Amino acid sequence: MNLPKKQSWRRLHSRFEPGFKRMLLLSVAIHFLVPVLYTGVLYFSPPREKPPVYRVNLVNKPVKNPQAGRPEASPKKKKTVTKAKPKPKPVVKSKPKPAPKPKPEAKKVVKPKPKPEPVAKPEPTISKAQEQDFQQKIEAMRREKEREDRLAALRAELEKEREKIAAETPVGEVTGKGDEEGIAYASFVKAFITEQWRLSKYQLPSLNLEAEWKLIYNAEGQLIHKKVVSGSGNKMFDDSLLRAIMKSQNLGRELEEQTEFEVTFNLREMQN
Amino acid sequence: MIIGRKVLLLLLTLLFSVSSAGAVKIEISAPGEQEIPLALTSFLPMGTAQPEIAAEINAVLQADLGLSGLFSLVDRASFLSDADKLGLSSVLVDFSQWKLLGAEAVIKGGYRVEGGRLIVEARLFDVISRRMLTGRRYIGKPEEARRIAHTFADQVMLSMTGTKGPFSSRIAYISNRTGKKELYLMEVDGHAPIRLTNHRGIVLNPDFSPVGKELIFTSYKKGNPDLYRKEIYAGREARLSHRQGLNIGGRYSPDGREIAVTLSKDKNSELYLLGTDGTIHKRLTNHWGIDVDPSWSPAGDKVAFVSDRRGNPHVYIVDVDSLEVKRLTFDGKYNATPAWSPNGERIAFARMENGSFDIYTIKPDGSDERRLTFGSGNKEHPRWSPDSRFLVYSLDRDGEKAIYLMRADGTGNRRISAAGGDDSHPAWSGYW
Amino acid sequence: MQKITLTRLFILLVLVTLLSAGCAKKAAMDDTQATDGTQAVEETQMQEQEISAVEEQPVSDMAAGDTNAAMMEAETLVRKLTRIYFDFDQYVLTKTAQDTLYANAQILKAAPALKVVVEGHCDERGSDEYNLALGEKRAIATKNYLVSLGVPMDQLSTISYGEEVPLDMGGSEDAWAKNRRAEFTLQR
Repeated sequence: MNLPKKQSWRRLHSRFEPGFKRMLLLSVAIHFLVPVLYTGVLYFSPPREKPPVYRVNLVNKPVKNPQAGRPEASPKKKKTVTKAKPKPKPVVKSKPKPAPKPKPEAKKVVKPKPKPEPVAKPEPTISKAQEQDFQQKIEAMRREKEREDRLAALRAELEKEREKIAAETPVGEVTGKGDEEGIAYASFVKAFITEQWRLSKYQLPSLNLEAEWKLIYNAEGQLIHKKVVSGSGNKMFDDSLLRAIMKSQNLGRELEEQTEFEVTFNLREMQN
Repeated sequence: MIIGRKVLLLLLTLLFSVSSAGAVKIEISAPGEQEIPLALTSFLPMGTAQPEIAAEINAVLQADLGLSGLFSLVDRASFLSDADKLGLSSVLVDFSQWKLLGAEAVIKGGYRVEGGRLIVEARLFDVISRRMLTGRRYIGKPEEARRIAHTFADQVMLSMTGTKGPFSSRIAYISNRTGKKELYLMEVDGHAPIRLTNHRGIVLNPDFSPVGKELIFTSYKKGNPDLYRKEIYAGREARLSHRQGLNIGGRYSPDGREIAVTLSKDKNSELYLLGTDGTIHKRLTNHWGIDVDPSWSPAGDKVAFVSDRRGNPHVYIVDVDSLEVKRLTFDGKYNATPAWSPNGERIAFARMENGSFDIYTIKPDGSDERRLTFGSGNKEHPRWSPDSRFLVYSLDRDGEKAIYLMRADGTGNRRISAAGGDDSHPAWSGYW
Repeated sequence: MQKITLTRLFILLVLVTLLSAGCAKKAAMDDTQATDGTQAVEETQMQEQEISAVEEQPVSDMAAGDTNAAMMEAETLVRKLTRIYFDFDQYVLTKTAQDTLYANAQILKAAPALKVVVEGHCDERGSDEYNLALGEKRAIATKNYLVSLGVPMDQLSTISYGEEVPLDMGGSEDAWAKNRRAEFTLQR
């Protein structure tokens, strides 16, 4: 085709349909507009909140309270487990206190507060006036205690509210699977049951063991159904799982709804 | 119709959104704690109190169960009132107290001395399921408190692992405390050592018979390294092999009917099989190199041994029937003192690396070699416990030789021989 | 060197024989005088007993009245046989070892009545069992070399002590080198 440039241009031009120029212009405009619209430089958009950063410890045991440190989160109190740890402290502390009181000491241990001592150390010789004085003081302390109890109850309620808020936001999830609702509970239940599971590698002939359980927790966090799907074939391993699950009857927090869990237990992390 | 279809569509989407919250899958790939928290209470007197007995039982249980690696001990200071109650059956134990302390297992017991006899009641409870896992009553003499405690520790191991523990067995060894190397016997925790020989020369390398309470060993009593057998309780001694040259490294076959030994009567050290009367049944090796240190497989069909046929000492395995020899170790320049575990799964041996010896284990097929010991000193002569969970070995460091125990994975190292002498060549008996 | 020692020994031998002869003569003389008084007789008898007691004990040093000259001579001879040393995990004779053994062979050949045990030893490193076998190989290698130099076979026997009898317990490279040896003792 050795047509001069001008001629070929004219030819092309004449080949166009009447509305072609308009179409071309429109096409170019759209091609230009869409990316501009997409990036949103033309219209105002509220500054997006940066998603909060969660520190997830992948190396150590799952943390009981992944929310710890967040401003709206609050420390959850688990009644069965955490009591075990501060236990030795009150006993040790109460030891230097008057020795000839072994029984009240035992009672003191149950309450994590060693401070409010059995109020009156009844002294053998005491006048009536002093006794009345003491009674008044006891009353005062009792009222004080009631006030504190009410305050504690209120605080507990507040914490519950906070927990609800905290629970609805996504928590660091190790596997990165699942939708937002699933992540929070799966991670929590996994951490909880793992914490209850005690097993020594010296009890086993090999680390290639695996078992599967089906657990159903109701919305209050109570275990309402448990069933073995498949056993490992090793009695020590299976017994240890039963113990762990028996200790996991009460999660200590609410789930959004009744949930069924399929839990696979193995020792992959211990194999090296 | 259209509206109906829309409603149907809506319902379906609702259905899916609800059922998407179905079974949640979780994988837990390690326990939260790899030790079982155990509350070991002091045994309580059921009659007159004899605190020494309770203290001995407690010390023995603590040492044995600590060596097992299964447990972490709950601090005694935190024990509550149930620790002071006898509680010999599960209905009498207040498990909630123990659960509060975080214990998952509790050991309780009582003892009574009457009419010259010591009676010990011992119990192991499971706190979570609130039941007794194992219970025993032992009757013996007051001086047998340690032995009773060892037996109960064996029972606890059986209950927790499915295999009986080795704590009631014995360890034979060579010591030069008298100035000469003689044969000694002690308990697994190093207690009650007794001297068995009075040869006043050099005694070496003992091995227990699997059937009777006998030991074979090598002695220079008559001026030549000869193979002797000694009955431990009767005290009778017999010279099994006194052929010219070496009669060393005697090892009983697992059925106790033959002895593998190194003889050099033909001017070269080779492995032979002798009968228990000392007659030669079979020659196992035929090579101009040094062939020593036999160790039987638990099936009795193979013998691991040390040979320098390729230049440096390495561990080989010979088939007792076909006499076919296969090489086991390839790494290192000096591998010696093989010991085949009673469950047949691993062979322990010592390898010299950078001038000092350390203990390794390897599978009989030559795979999965693992180093068990580290640090200074020479660790040699590993021997297995009858349950294959522990190893005894001799450690030569800073001019002193002592005998140590450890778990089969190399953890839990502890010395069991007393200071003040050179102790070596340990051998672990079967279940006593 | 060898010639001088031999003559010295010969002289020693003669002297000792004379001494012992002298002692015997004394006893005989006392006997002839005995008829005069009983006391004299008892004295000589006691003297005789003393001499016989001395004779029963093998004494390595030169004790007065030692009649077992052969034993003493043997001990001295054996002490002249020098040790040889080996490299780690080797039973091959080094050049130095071979030279030493050549010298030892001459002593042995000159005293064919001397029965010697060749002891093989190792340093404390390594398996005890393996070292017993290695020690034996060292002893046998030494014996074979001596035999090849003309020493009669039945003059030598071998034994291995492995790592059980170290000379130097220092645990250092020097100490170990000293322990890897073959040495010679009198056969009893």
